[in-house]
Amino acid sequence: MSEVIESKILRHRIENIGSLPTVPETLKRLSRIMEKQNVSLTEVASFVQSDPALTFRILKMVNSAVYGFPGRIASVSHAIMLLGLNVVKGLLLGVSVFELMQKAMTGLYEHSMGCAAASRIIAQKKGLREPEEAYVAGLIHDIGKVVMALEFTKAYEGALAFAETEHISIMQAEKKFFADNHAALGGVLSEKWRFPKKLTEAILYHHQPRSAVLFPLETAIVHLADLLTKARGLGFSGDQIVPVVDDAAFDRLELSEQDIINVFKELEGSIEATQEVLQQ
Amino acid sequence: MIKVTPEKLQPGMRLARPVMNRAGMALLGEGTELTETWIARIQDMDLEGAIYVEGKLEMEVPMDEMLAALQRRFQSALGNQRMELIKRAAETHIRKLYE
Repeated sequence: MSEVIESKILRHRIENIGSLPTVPETLKRLSRIMEKQNVSLTEVASFVQSDPALTFRILKMVNSAVYGFPGRIASVSHAIMLLGLNVVKGLLLGVSVFELMQKAMTGLYEHSMGCAAASRIIAQKKGLREPEEAYVAGLIHDIGKVVMALEFTKAYEGALAFAETEHISIMQAEKKFFADNHAALGGVLSEKWRFPKKLTEAILYHHQPRSAVLFPLETAIVHLADLLTKARGLGFSGDQIVPVVDDAAFDRLELSEQDIINVFKELEGSIEATQEVLQQ
Repeated sequence: MIKVTPEKLQPGMRLARPVMNRAGMALLGEGTELTETWIARIQDMDLEGAIYVEGKLEMEVPMDEMLAALQRRFQSALGNQRMELIKRAAETHIRKLYE
């Protein structure tokens, strides 16, 4: 059996995402901007506007039926005003990481989009003030897998195969090959990119929501959204089976069977709308 | 809701989503009933992506296959009350997609 990849090595790769050869230039530049302390609205807007493909995608995304204002947002600054800097940062990340996700694992992007949409739907049902933040958390909750699969391709393939033959979750299978799991590494990235604690916690604990102390509700939302996306069979996350839901997180959300049916129903429409955004 | 390419549009179809141009601006609103004129303009516009009109979706995968896959995904969660609830909800939803 191959050796377990140490935590130190994993975290070092994550810390240096800006210089990894597998990472596309746009994402590197975006990563550098996001790492800055107190990055301003103007800086983000001018960064985006310097890249026509990125501008196009982000405007298409915010103008799609996924958001409340189809066809009404004309500029990146306008989008930031309406959605907030953190959401726009997350969406930028989402659209920039698209090709990379496809390369890392077929179906991971569809899974992430599904989880993003489901997170937003549940957040709305729970009356959260910023359902878009939940959307972003859902969109990047598996970002750790991207780095693992790209930088340690053989080991990650090993983990995927191990999950399949042993009928265990990818999270459990990762343990055999990596000292840190994808959620922990995603949390490191979220901190590096200075996302709010709310997002970091949701990413870090999406598999163990009871560890979330500051934002248990947001974390429970991403946990359940992830699970419902798997239940519906949207995309591929590395899991062949639906992992068991966390009792406390599920109960916290107080969703009835009918509520969950409604989440699935709304999810169906959102998915198509978001996928369309990425087809060029 | 059905996804169609611009060439397949027929007069009388009703838009289920706005038609957007490449910059994401809405050109025709949701609920618009398409006329020959509108269709001709849409076809001239070099839009990307599909147009969504009202109607029932044709499912690519047969229902039995979808439900069998659902069973397999939940095989290790049997006996867990909350997982049974989620599974029932997913099943109800999937069946509805085929109605």
